[in-house]
Amino acid sequence: MKKISKFAALLLAMILLVSSLAGCGGGKDKKPADSGKQPEATTTASDGALKLAITTGDGSSTDDKIPTPWYNRQMATNLMFRSLLKADSTLSKTEADLAEVTVSEDGMAYTVTLKDGLKWSDGEALTVDDVIFSIETAQKTAQINSIYTAAFANIAEMKADGNVLTISMKTPYAAMMNILSQFAILPKHSLEKADPLSLDSDPFWQNPVCSGMYCLDELKKGNYFTLKLNENYEGTAPKIKKITTYFVSDFVTAAQAGNVDYVFGNDAGLVEKLSNMENFTTNEVDVLFYKYFIFNMKGIDGKENEAMQNVEVRKALMKAIDRATLANLYPNATVLNSGVPNENEAYNGFEYKFDAEAAKKELAASGYDMSRKIKICYYNNDQTSIDLINMVVYYLEQMGLTVEATLSNDGTTDLFTTRDYDIGFKGKASFSIDEWYTEYMSTDALFANIFGGGTEFDSLIAELSAATDPAKRNEVLKQLQDLEQKNVYKVPAFTVGTYVFTSNNVKIPEGVTFCNPLYSCDLDFENWELAK
Amino acid sequence: MLKFIIKKLLMMIPMLFLISIIVYFALNMTGIDPINFMVSPEVLSANKENVDALRESLGLNDPLIVQYFRWLGNCLHGDFGYSFDGSSIASIVAERLPYTFELAGYSLVLSAVIGIGIGIISAIRQNGIIDYIGRVLAVFGQAVPQFLVGIILIQIFAIRLGWFPSGNRISPDATSPIADAFFHLFLPVLTLTIGMVAVLMRYARNTMLDVLNSDYIKTARSKGIPEWKVYLKHGFRNAMKPVLVILVFRIPMLVGGSVVIETVFSYPGIGLTMTNAITSMDYPVVLITTLIIAAAMLICSFMVDVLNALLDPRVRLGE
Amino acid sequence: MSKNGSAVSIKEQNKSAASSLMKKNIRKFMNNKLALLGLIVIVIMTIACIAGAVAGVDYNTPNPTVLKQAPGNGHLFGTDTIGRDLLARVLYGGCYSIFIGVFCSVLSSVIGAILGAIAGYFGGKTDAFIIRISEIFQAFPQLVLVMMLVALMNKRGLGNLLFIFVITGWMTTFRMVRNEFMSLKSETYVKVCEAFGMSKNSIMFKQILPNVMSPIIVSTTTNVAFFILQEAALSFIGLGVADSTPTWGNILNAAKSISVVTDQWWIWLFPGLAISLFVLAINFFGDGLRDVLDPKQQ
Repeated sequence: MKKISKFAALLLAMILLVSSLAGCGGGKDKKPADSGKQPEATTTASDGALKLAITTGDGSSTDDKIPTPWYNRQMATNLMFRSLLKADSTLSKTEADLAEVTVSEDGMAYTVTLKDGLKWSDGEALTVDDVIFSIETAQKTAQINSIYTAAFANIAEMKADGNVLTISMKTPYAAMMNILSQFAILPKHSLEKADPLSLDSDPFWQNPVCSGMYCLDELKKGNYFTLKLNENYEGTAPKIKKITTYFVSDFVTAAQAGNVDYVFGNDAGLVEKLSNMENFTTNEVDVLFYKYFIFNMKGIDGKENEAMQNVEVRKALMKAIDRATLANLYPNATVLNSGVPNENEAYNGFEYKFDAEAAKKELAASGYDMSRKIKICYYNNDQTSIDLINMVVYYLEQMGLTVEATLSNDGTTDLFTTRDYDIGFKGKASFSIDEWYTEYMSTDALFANIFGGGTEFDSLIAELSAATDPAKRNEVLKQLQDLEQKNVYKVPAFTVGTYVFTSNNVKIPEGVTFCNPLYSCDLDFENWELAK
Repeated sequence: MLKFIIKKLLMMIPMLFLISIIVYFALNMTGIDPINFMVSPEVLSANKENVDALRESLGLNDPLIVQYFRWLGNCLHGDFGYSFDGSSIASIVAERLPYTFELAGYSLVLSAVIGIGIGIISAIRQNGIIDYIGRVLAVFGQAVPQFLVGIILIQIFAIRLGWFPSGNRISPDATSPIADAFFHLFLPVLTLTIGMVAVLMRYARNTMLDVLNSDYIKTARSKGIPEWKVYLKHGFRNAMKPVLVILVFRIPMLVGGSVVIETVFSYPGIGLTMTNAITSMDYPVVLITTLIIAAAMLICSFMVDVLNALLDPRVRLGE
Repeated sequence: MSKNGSAVSIKEQNKSAASSLMKKNIRKFMNNKLALLGLIVIVIMTIACIAGAVAGVDYNTPNPTVLKQAPGNGHLFGTDTIGRDLLARVLYGGCYSIFIGVFCSVLSSVIGAILGAIAGYFGGKTDAFIIRISEIFQAFPQLVLVMMLVALMNKRGLGNLLFIFVITGWMTTFRMVRNEFMSLKSETYVKVCEAFGMSKNSIMFKQILPNVMSPIIVSTTTNVAFFILQEAALSFIGLGVADSTPTWGNILNAAKSISVVTDQWWIWLFPGLAISLFVLAINFFGDGLRDVLDPKQQ
C-alpha cells in the first residue's frame, strides 16, 4: 500500500509538472494549422468602448499620466491633441486642420490662418497665442522629438495678427509643413506656469485640456484611462463614444486577452503572434524604421575611443557581420547601405558586403589589438533584438575577437553619456530620410557626443533641408551617402517593416491607410465604428 | 516583557537611520548624474544656463551630506520629495502601496492557512497519501520558477479560458469593486501562493515531525491524553515557533516575488514602481521604496523576536 | 536516544561505532526511494552537464537555416530563436546554474551557521551586534542590492551574482541556528561540557552544532533550489548574468516572448524542465538526508 501510494504520488507529480509546463504551449503546437483560431479574444465583442493600449514595458511611457504628444504621437493622444495641419498616410501631404498654412515662394515665410471659433475642451478659445506658446515652449522642453526642435531652430520670428500668424524663417526648411502636421498645439492657459523643461511631467497630463475629438474622462493610475467626446470639438462627432486605454506591459498578452483593438509593432514575436490571430486584421505600414550600428568615436570633450579611430577597423568589423542573415530574424526587413533605401533613385549603389575571410585579413592588416575586448551596447529588450545581438557577438567571435554585449536599461544615457562601448545598436522610427542625416550634424545634441561634433556633414545637410527641387535633393543625398560611407560612423543594418493590427471589434471605413504608428495622420476616425 | 518590546522598538530607529544612510550614499556613489535623467541631452547642450539653474534649484550642487540631511528632514515632515519625472513620491506610495499590501497580504494568509494545514496533516499521517501528495505538490510548487507559473496561469486562465483579466488592478466597467478586486487579484495571488505554500508546507511538516517524535509528546501519549489533544496542545504549539519564524522571514521573499509577479501581471503595486524606478535610475523613488520595504522587514524581525519570546520562555528576555 | 543527544564526549566514540552508524545511515538512505531517486537525478544531471561542457558541445553557434526548429532531426531538444542547439545550451547552462545554486547555498549556510553559533552561544553584546548586521542585510531587498552592485561595478557578471546571493542569503540559516543555540545552550549536556572545561569552539561546533544540522541541511537544500530559481527571476527582470552566459535562467528568458511561450514550447520547456527537475531532485534528496541525519528519529 505504501509503495503504491508513493509511486502514485510520484507519478502524479511528474504528470502535473509536465502537463502544466506544456499545458499552454504544447497543446497548441501540435496543430499549428489552426493555432490562429485558438487565442480568440474571450471578452464579449464590445462593451461600447474602443480599447487601446499604451505599453509601459519598454520604459518610454509611465503608467501614471497621459503620454506627451510631443515625443511619440500615439493613437490615444492623436485623438486628444490636434496639430495645425493634418497629414495623409505618407506623412508628406498635408491639409488644413486647426489652421490653413501657406508658404511663400522662397520658403522664408509661413502664414498660419486659424479656423474661427476653435475652443479647448474647457471652453477657452484656442488662439494664435497657443500656437506661439507651443512652438516657443517646444524649443525649451526636454522630452521632445528632435524633428520639432530641428525645424523650429530655423524660425526667425513669429508675428500674430488676429487669428493669423506669420512665421518668418532664418533659412528655408523644406519639411516645415510636414512638421506642422505632427506638432501638437498645447493650451497656453493651462501650461504657461509649468516649468517648460519638465513639461511632460506637469500635473496637466493627469487631467489635460484637449483640442481633439476626445478628452480625458477618467485616469486610474497604473490601470487605464478613458476618453469621452470633447463637447467643444467643432468637427464631425465620431461614431465611437468612448475609448478605454489600458496601461499594459505587453501588447501581445493584451491583444490575446481582448484588451486592445489596435496594436502596432515590428518585432518578430509580436508580428508572428498577431498575424496568426483570426480576430485581428494585419496592415503593413510603409515606415522608415532604421536598425543600425553606431561607433563610439569621440566625445565633444575631445576624448577619443582610440581603438575605433582607424576607419579600416570599422570597415573590417562591419564586413564580418552578415546583415542579410540578421535581417531574416525580422518578419520583413530590407537590408540597406546608407540612409537611402536601395530602391530609392537617390541611392548611390555602394554596398557593405559580408566576407568573413577578407574581414579577418583586413582586421589583421589594420593593426587592431586582438586581445582587446570589443564592447557592444544595445537597449531594445525584445527577444528579436537580443537574438540579433547574440548573432553579432557570434560573428565577431568568429574573427577571433572577444566580445561583450550589454543590454542597457537606459539607452540614451548609456549610448551618449556613459559611452562605455565600441559598437552600439540602435533603432529609429524616422520621419523622413533627412532625419537619418541630421544625426551627423555637429549640433545634434545626441550624436555629437559620440561623433565628436565634427562639421564635415553640416553644409550638405543644410543644403538637403533647404532643397525643394527633387533633382537637387537627390544630388545632395548622393554626396551625403558617399561621405557617410567614407566615414563609417553609422552603418545601417536594415529597415524593418512595421505592422498595425486592428481587431474585429472595430469596423474601419473603406480606404483608410495606416501611417507610421508613432506619428499622426488622417485615419478618418470619425467613421470608425464598433462592431456589434 | 513590555520592557523587551519597547527596547526592541527603540532599536529600530537607529537601524532605519543607518539603512537610509547606506542606501542614500551607495546610490550616490554609482556616479550617475541625476541631471541626465531629468533633462534630455538636447536641452543640456542647447541651454547651458538653464541646466545649471535647474541643477542649483534641485540642490544637486550641495555637498552630499547636506543633501542627505535635507532629504531626511523633509521625510520626517512627511514630504518624501519628488521622483525625477515630477510626481510626488508620497502620493506614488499612497497610490501603489495598498495594492501591494493587498497582493502580499492575501497571499500570506492564504499560503499560511493552506501550507501549515497540509503540513501538519502530513506530519500526523506521515507516509499517508495526503503526506505524499502534499510533499510532492510542495516540491512541485517550489520547483517551477514563479514568473513562469505566472505566465502559464495567464495563458491558461486569462487567454485560453478568459475567466480572469491578464493584468492591471481595476477595470473601467466593473460591476462591483469587490468582484473587480477578486478577478484582478486571483491570478497574481495564486501565483505567489503556489510558491509560498511549498516552503511553508515543508517547514510545517518537518517541525511538526520533530515535535511529534520528541520525548514530551511520547510522555504525553503515555499518560493517556487523547490523540487530538496531544496534537493540538502540545504538538501544534511547539511546532509553530520555527514555522512562524519561517513565515515571517518569507515576507521578504514575498515582497521580492511580488516585484517579479507585478511585472508579469503589470499590476500597479510598489514592486512595479520600484522596478521601473531602478530601470530609470530614479534615485528618490528607489530610496523611498527601499526604506519602506526596509521598515517592513525590520518590523517583521521585531515580530519574530517577540513571538519567539512569547512561545519559548527559554529565549532569555532582555539579554 | 543514542550518543548524539547525550553528553557523551566525541572522544569516546570509537571508529567502529562510527562506521557502523555510517552503514546504518546509508542503509536507511537507500531505503528512502524518493531520496535515492533525487540523488540519482542530481548525479546524472550534474555528470551530464559537466560531461557536455568538457566534451565541448557547441552551445554558441547560431544556424540561420534551422531557426526555431522543433525537437528531432539532429537536434534532440530542437533549436532556439537563432538556431543554436538547445540540448547543448541546456547542458552547458546546467554547469553554470548548478554551480550558482550549490556554491551560494553552501557558502551562505556556512556563514549563517558560524555566525548563528557565535551569536546564539555567546549571546549578549556579540549576539546583539550580529543580529543588527543581519537585520541590515535582511532589510535590503535583494533587487536593490543587485541594482546597486550592477551600477557600481558597471557590469552584469557571474561574480556579482554569486557575491550578492551569498551576502543576501545567509540570514535565514543564521536566525535558525541562533535560535536553536539559544535554546540548546541551557540544556544540561552543554552545562556538563562547560563544567568539564571543554573549549568554547569545541562545545559550539562539536557538541551543539550537530544537533542543529537537520534544519541547516534542510535550509541548504532549499537554498540551492531558491538560488537557481532566483537566478532565473533576476534574468527575467533583466538583472541577471549577462545574456552571453547560457545559464538556465537566461535560456528560459525566451519565455518573455509570448509567441515563444505558445508556439515554440521546446525553447522554454526544456530549460524549464531542467530547472524544475533539478530543484525537485535536490528537495527530495534534502528531505531524505534530513530523515537520516535527524538524531531524534533514530
